[in-house]
Amino acid sequence: MMRMLLAVVALAAALPAQAQFRLPSIDINKIVDSAKNVGKAAKDIDQPEEIAIGRDLAATLLGAAPLVNDARMQRYVNNVGRWLAAQTERSDLPWQFGVLDAPQLNAFAVPGGTIFITRGLLERMKSEAELAGVLSHEIVHVLKKHHLKAIQKAAMSSLGGDAAALALKDRAGAARDKLISFGTEMYTRGLDKSDEFEADRLGVVIAARGGYDTYGLPAVLQTIQAMNAQDSGLALMFKTHPAPGERLDALGEKMQPTLDRYSKQPQLVERFAAEARTAK
Amino acid sequence: MKIAIRFLKVLLFVPLWCAAEPATVIRATDLKQEPATDAATVAQLKENTAVEALERKSGWTRVKAPAGEGWVKMLALRYGGPGAAKAGDSGVSQLFNVARTGTSGAQVTTGVRGLDADMLAKAKPNPAELEKMSGYAATPDRAAGFAAKGRLQPQQVEEVK
Repeated sequence: MMRMLLAVVALAAALPAQAQFRLPSIDINKIVDSAKNVGKAAKDIDQPEEIAIGRDLAATLLGAAPLVNDARMQRYVNNVGRWLAAQTERSDLPWQFGVLDAPQLNAFAVPGGTIFITRGLLERMKSEAELAGVLSHEIVHVLKKHHLKAIQKAAMSSLGGDAAALALKDRAGAARDKLISFGTEMYTRGLDKSDEFEADRLGVVIAARGGYDTYGLPAVLQTIQAMNAQDSGLALMFKTHPAPGERLDALGEKMQPTLDRYSKQPQLVERFAAEARTAK
Repeated sequence: MKIAIRFLKVLLFVPLWCAAEPATVIRATDLKQEPATDAATVAQLKENTAVEALERKSGWTRVKAPAGEGWVKMLALRYGGPGAAKAGDSGVSQLFNVARTGTSGAQVTTGVRGLDADMLAKAKPNPAELEKMSGYAATPDRAAGFAAKGRLQPQQVEEVK
């Protein structure tokens, strides 16, 4: 059924929009009309659907890199992340956090409350406040549904409205696979710059709410800024995010008062050193 | 060989911030005696002054400047020599460099394995690993106990648009 619908959508795309013909039970004009209606379904995805899409995407990311095999480290990162998520308006999501066994420096947010950070990035951090800054940034992507909206937009413009809506609802089928591949591709293309800047600003706010030194996120950005830009471990992050210097400028412009007001909160350097390092 | 190993070990234990790193002041900034706005001012650094960054304490970084040692606001610093300071400039050239390395397979000689664009594009779902991940998740109660142990005090902070 799904395959047939896709074929019909493809056919419809090749025809002028005003083409008048009908197949049994499928109204071509309706499909063409809803394909134009990009953005409508953004409101239609409910929380269970968001979580289900997130699980499929998370499983795919884990197919690219597995978790670091260190239960203590994984539980520690989950404690920090869950505490931060509890300071937000979407505390009820099934939040889970994972350290991916990859040397590159990066972090990913998946719709529905799954957050990944790479071992390479964790190793460059010096305190729990820095970890909290990065996790807070990713939490904002989930709160504001940045990825979900981007996936929807891609699916709507490529599959068309009704097919996209079906792909979002139906977990099994060719359209769903297509949707997940859009989603995965998004992690290699990146979000809008404005989404990243918003995640930086609100990330600082969430870290402050959690009681952490607010300079954690700027410190990580500065660490990255200090690294050789041609370091291949940074390639994907640089491709998908504004330059760290630009992000630091933006934080300085808008967040200086918040940053300074909560800068005396704990950094938890020792706890981080004890918990976040892989047992050798 | 033994000496080489000892040298490597020493390198491993030197915290990152101990190594002085070249940095530039991106705007005119006070060099303070202590990491605080009300501390005595050692000197006034002009925009684009080259310094060496030594360590960070919250929103402040200790630097060695031509005018002496002291603390400057962390966000007034960018790493790299003079020129890195031009707003936006460094970012664009960094991106350009990455794009250039990224598109030419031959240039990526260090090619770290793991999570890069290719791996992501080829990835097949790993549901078993996702299951394992769920097992590590914390309950809100456990996370709250963990926060209390770290003396983290929740605060009311409004969103900034």
